Amino acid sequence: MSLEEFKNRNVGQQTYKMVQSDPTPKTGKEQFEQVVRRAFKGELFVGLYVTLREMINALFRGEMHTIKYPFEKLPISPRYRAIHDMLRLLESGHYRCIGCGLCEKICISNCIKMDTRYDENQRKEVSEYTINFGRCIFCGYCAEVCPELAIVHGARYETASEQRASFSLFEDMLTPIDALKLQQEYDGFGAISPNADQNIKKTPLAY
Amino acid sequence: MSNDITMKIDGIECVAAEGEYILNVARANNIFIPAICYLTRCSPTLACRICLVEADGKRVYSCNTKVKEGMEVTVTNQEILEERRAIMEVYDVNHPLQCGVCDQSGECELQNYTLEIGVDSQTYSIPDTKREAANWSSVLHYDPGLCIVCERCVTVCKDMIGDSALKTGPRGGEGINKDAKDTMPKDAYAMWNKLQKSVIVPSNGTGETNCSDCGECIAVCPVGALVSRDFVYQSNAWELKRVPATCAHCSSGCQIYYETKHTSIGDTSEKIYRVTNEWNYVSLCGAGRFGYDFENRAEGKNKEAFDKAVEALQKADSIRFNSVITNEEALMLQTLKEKFGTKLVNPDAFAFQKFLKAYSRSSGKTLYGSDFKEIMKSDFVISVGCALHNDNPNARYAFNNIQKMNKGAGLYFHPVADPLIASLGKSVECFTHKPGLEEAALYLVLDLFAKRERLPQDTIDYLDSFHSKITKTVQEKVMEDVTETVTDAKTGESKEVTKKVPKTIEKEIVVDENRLALLLGGKGDFAETFQDMMKKKERFSLIIGEDLYFHTKAENLAALVALIESSCDIEIVMVPPKTNSLGVALICDLDESAEGYCVGYNEKGDFRLSALGDGDLDMPAMNQQEGTLTNMNKRVLPTNAALEYNGYELNDMMVALEIGKHLTIDWTPMLAGKRGFKKANFDELPNGYTNSGVENRGYALENISTHAEAIQLQKFDESIALEGEIAYRCNPQRQFNDFSDKAHQIFEEYGLYASTAKAESLGGKVEVDFGSSKMIFEVISDDSIEGEIVRVPDFKSEKDIYTLFGEDRYKNVIIRKV
Amino acid sequence: MEAAVLPEVTSAGVIIKAIIILAVIAAIAGFGTFIERKVLAFMQRRLGPMHVGPYGILQLVADGIKLFTKEDIVPQHSNKIIFKIAPVITAATAFIALASVPVFPDFTIPQWVPLLGGVFVPSIAADINIGILFVLGMMAAGLYGPLLAGMAQANKWGIIGSARTAIQFLSYEVVTGLSILAPIMLVGSLSLVDFNTYQTGGLTSWILWQQPVAFVLFLIAGFAETNRTPFDLLEHEAEIISGYATEYSGLRWGLFFIGEYANMVTVSILAAVVFMGGYNDLGFLPGWLMIILKIAFVFFFMLWVRASWPHIRPDQLMWLCWKVLMPIAVINVVITGLFMMV
Repeated sequence: MSLEEFKNRNVGQQTYKMVQSDPTPKTGKEQFEQVVRRAFKGELFVGLYVTLREMINALFRGEMHTIKYPFEKLPISPRYRAIHDMLRLLESGHYRCIGCGLCEKICISNCIKMDTRYDENQRKEVSEYTINFGRCIFCGYCAEVCPELAIVHGARYETASEQRASFSLFEDMLTPIDALKLQQEYDGFGAISPNADQNIKKTPLAY
Repeated sequence: MSNDITMKIDGIECVAAEGEYILNVARANNIFIPAICYLTRCSPTLACRICLVEADGKRVYSCNTKVKEGMEVTVTNQEILEERRAIMEVYDVNHPLQCGVCDQSGECELQNYTLEIGVDSQTYSIPDTKREAANWSSVLHYDPGLCIVCERCVTVCKDMIGDSALKTGPRGGEGINKDAKDTMPKDAYAMWNKLQKSVIVPSNGTGETNCSDCGECIAVCPVGALVSRDFVYQSNAWELKRVPATCAHCSSGCQIYYETKHTSIGDTSEKIYRVTNEWNYVSLCGAGRFGYDFENRAEGKNKEAFDKAVEALQKADSIRFNSVITNEEALMLQTLKEKFGTKLVNPDAFAFQKFLKAYSRSSGKTLYGSDFKEIMKSDFVISVGCALHNDNPNARYAFNNIQKMNKGAGLYFHPVADPLIASLGKSVECFTHKPGLEEAALYLVLDLFAKRERLPQDTIDYLDSFHSKITKTVQEKVMEDVTETVTDAKTGESKEVTKKVPKTIEKEIVVDENRLALLLGGKGDFAETFQDMMKKKERFSLIIGEDLYFHTKAENLAALVALIESSCDIEIVMVPPKTNSLGVALICDLDESAEGYCVGYNEKGDFRLSALGDGDLDMPAMNQQEGTLTNMNKRVLPTNAALEYNGYELNDMMVALEIGKHLTIDWTPMLAGKRGFKKANFDELPNGYTNSGVENRGYALENISTHAEAIQLQKFDESIALEGEIAYRCNPQRQFNDFSDKAHQIFEEYGLYASTAKAESLGGKVEVDFGSSKMIFEVISDDSIEGEIVRVPDFKSEKDIYTLFGEDRYKNVIIRKV
Repeated sequence: MEAAVLPEVTSAGVIIKAIIILAVIAAIAGFGTFIERKVLAFMQRRLGPMHVGPYGILQLVADGIKLFTKEDIVPQHSNKIIFKIAPVITAATAFIALASVPVFPDFTIPQWVPLLGGVFVPSIAADINIGILFVLGMMAAGLYGPLLAGMAQANKWGIIGSARTAIQFLSYEVVTGLSILAPIMLVGSLSLVDFNTYQTGGLTSWILWQQPVAFVLFLIAGFAETNRTPFDLLEHEAEIISGYATEYSGLRWGLFFIGEYANMVTVSILAAVVFMGGYNDLGFLPGWLMIILKIAFVFFFMLWVRASWPHIRPDQLMWLCWKVLMPIAVINVVITGLFMMV
């Protein structure tokens, strides 16, 4: 179904397919005929066959659909917006966040707060960063607005915890430094578009 | 007054004063002309060249082209747009792409104009030069990487502040490709050429500025190059809430915004991160800009202490307070006096009140005639009895601005020599007279400026008695024709050649010697200098300072001021000694001295109400309360609460005494009963400036005519002049009261301030014997003063300096080394 | 129709048999729940219980522990005595019915076993000559369990559940009785041992082939009697929460559960013995294995049906019973009679 058709809400205009059901029997004879017809049509056995077939397929042909969560997990779509991750620069291992405050500004539920300071290397350092997950609606704007691809929505959807605070500090969201090798670029909300290169004008660097 | 003319900008008819710049006219009429380097009250810098417009078919810079009758200005055309775009592109060359962390991001003019002009690609390039960030002083942080060398900081420091602490220095950048001259728009090329060569440096040649740390350069910086050291990377501009307020440190009552945000993630209470101002129309001093965190963080309502306070107010025989209070609070104290007969003691306002009363007896007006806004239009300014450097920064800015912008002249009468004042302009004459001779100074002003026909005869006679004709031998250079015979060596021919040769001859002339000028320490050739100073001068003004209020013969001085105002074409302003001294003087009936049980409000007392957090009951500090302040421009200005306050305020006590109102600001319309105040509700008071720079803040006090008595002048008494070791009650710059002292970015210490030479002779620590008592001070060397007089600051109320000095500002002391 | 001479049935043997039935069937009932969950899961391409024990086999232990340790709740306004008795009725009748059903082949306890050595354990605890009648009677009496439970618990879902119990069980008793009447007529005995003996002649001698209609009717009625899908209207979750068992929890609810599964086993055994050749050897397959296989198949069939078919409505249930099944059963009996006369 195309989007236009999907959005057409003029009920009755669509080309619905009507289910052809038998006419309701009126006389006793008709009722009797219907019973006989249905009784001997074998539909009941078709049902039995289907379930048996599925069982055999599942047991012997590897069509078992169960994922043994939490031992097995399905890959999460990049569009899924789970608890945020803070990424690091692959080269230096330094966190990417520069403390620009855009996520803080754009956050529509006002749940992001950060403290910054002037550090010893004359850089802006994020001294503290927190997301109030009691308020966060996981809209993904922060990931979208982030100029450094630093804050992203990770794949961590198991968010049960004794305290919400267990997720909300900078260190909790930051890629652990020893897991830097495992850090992956995020291709969901806020990721650079595949044709980003074509969309920018280049500035001369004649030296 | 210049005549009004009519001209057109982009077809819109504008009426403007003749001699006004096109840019200012456009701004006043809400027409947008882009401009980066121009500051409204300063001279055009012509660094950015982006304010290019077409006037009567010619390309001109709107910031330095004066309007003419019938002029037609086009703000944009294709050529100008291209020029502007090229300029913005050049500004963006190598400008670090660090808007993400830059403190100015969001209020950055480079960002704004880049977007406004629509720079979406870059044509130019040049190798970048490494420039290191540096701290210029205890408050200034400069990142030359971000600097676009618009020179606004240099301009404001020179034209407004007077420190001239900054200049442009060499950048060491690579030269622009020669071809660029032909391929680029020419203004953009010229701008780039200059930009590539310069960077801002402290003008004293060192890495640190030696200035008053006012931070005005930070305010005017369009980009993030100049930031306060304390604010670097602390907060984005858009996170801060701006609370319009009035600075409460001195009597200037400058418009400020307290910019607040939660303290940190852990602490959600509001904190002031910085103070900003409408820098096109008002300039702050260091105390105003950096002395903001003086709030009183009261834990909560201490009912027990409150009950004691109410009881204390009831039984108090007197209340001591200072002028760092709002008009509303002053009115409450006055109400207390009316109800309980409590004596109100406030030394600074009392002296000023007495002076004002004496002045109005002689002048027939409750208030002095002019204000600082007006005197900034004058071109000859005189200051008597005011330590311009310290007493009131805005008075000093005005004095400086007159020199710089109006090609003005100035006379500065003060016993403490200040090298800075002398450096403000070429035609500034400083009279370093003996303390006590302020009357002589005013007589000299009368002598110099008074229209004789307006003076009473005895005064004329008195003035004439100082003049004497003396014969003086002067050396004069004249050109003399000398004819000599020259013999040519080759031909042997002789020729007569006539040459002009300078020759010094001695000449006897009759000069008018003014003994007053000499008495005040003027140079012998003052009369001539004065002749030069008076050239092309049209408007005259006189600044009266605190020395005159604290003077043995204050009443005579007040009468003299009134006489000057009536007999000379001089506009007069007075500098109230403390923040709201004028308001307190108008509202309260003050008493000379305290007696009996005394309640101190931010002052010493048997029971202390204190906004400093060290009293028996906490009170809100100025950034925690609403109310109005009366400033030296005779305006009643609203100020708002920037921070939360949890404790009790004065009105709560008034409520407990059953003479209170629902809210403190309910007292604002009640002020109407007092001299000059209007019946205005607090919430209706505006606090801002219009585009044309009209001060639309609060309301102006009415100057009411009163019955004038005949002016009775006394001759001045030379004998009251002080000799020997003298202490002067005067605060260091950026320090005004306990509150500025409490702020963490104000570093000026409490101590005995002395000139460098004097400090050397005094050593590290001294005991000062005031006669009645002795105090021990650290000696602080201050290169902004010269001479022998030492300064004793009064900003710490606990030191009770007013009592030591009594009714004078100068006092003979004995200084002993400790 | 006397079979081979059997050792004498002693009371010790009967008691041992009773204990075996009680223990084994109760265990099978529990195991049945596990099997049911597994089979349903497989048919839906799921794994079913997997975590407790290998392949989740100990899930039934876990469930048992859960049921035994749960708080025993008796609703405030219920008739407490009846509320407490009702589950016992269901479980008891289910097990009593099994007394006259041959559950395993008979055997003699080996001599070396102390005390009980040499005791003969019969295949049927009580080989009464009206075995089938007794089984049907006891299963009919099992109706009182859900009926009383629903009425005692002061809950409207319970009331509806018990009403449905009454109509459903009573109606289908008729079909069960009539459908089994034809085989009884063929065998000429009400003893299940006689049924078994009747079918000793291999696969072809199964009554199933002579009475297919009766077999189908018996199965359908058996589903209804045991409250299985598509006739599980008594505790149909989507309509009446849990019907008569709404207020029950813990062990009391567990008794209903055991009763239901015991009934399923009973019906399976009946179907196997009456129609499918009983515990006779089939070729090389010994009789005890055959009976187990047959019972298991019928049991599996019940689960299979549950996975495949939807519920029907109560009115359809009644319609089916009185207008379809009962007439067919009567006709079947008549035709059988005619054949026997001819």
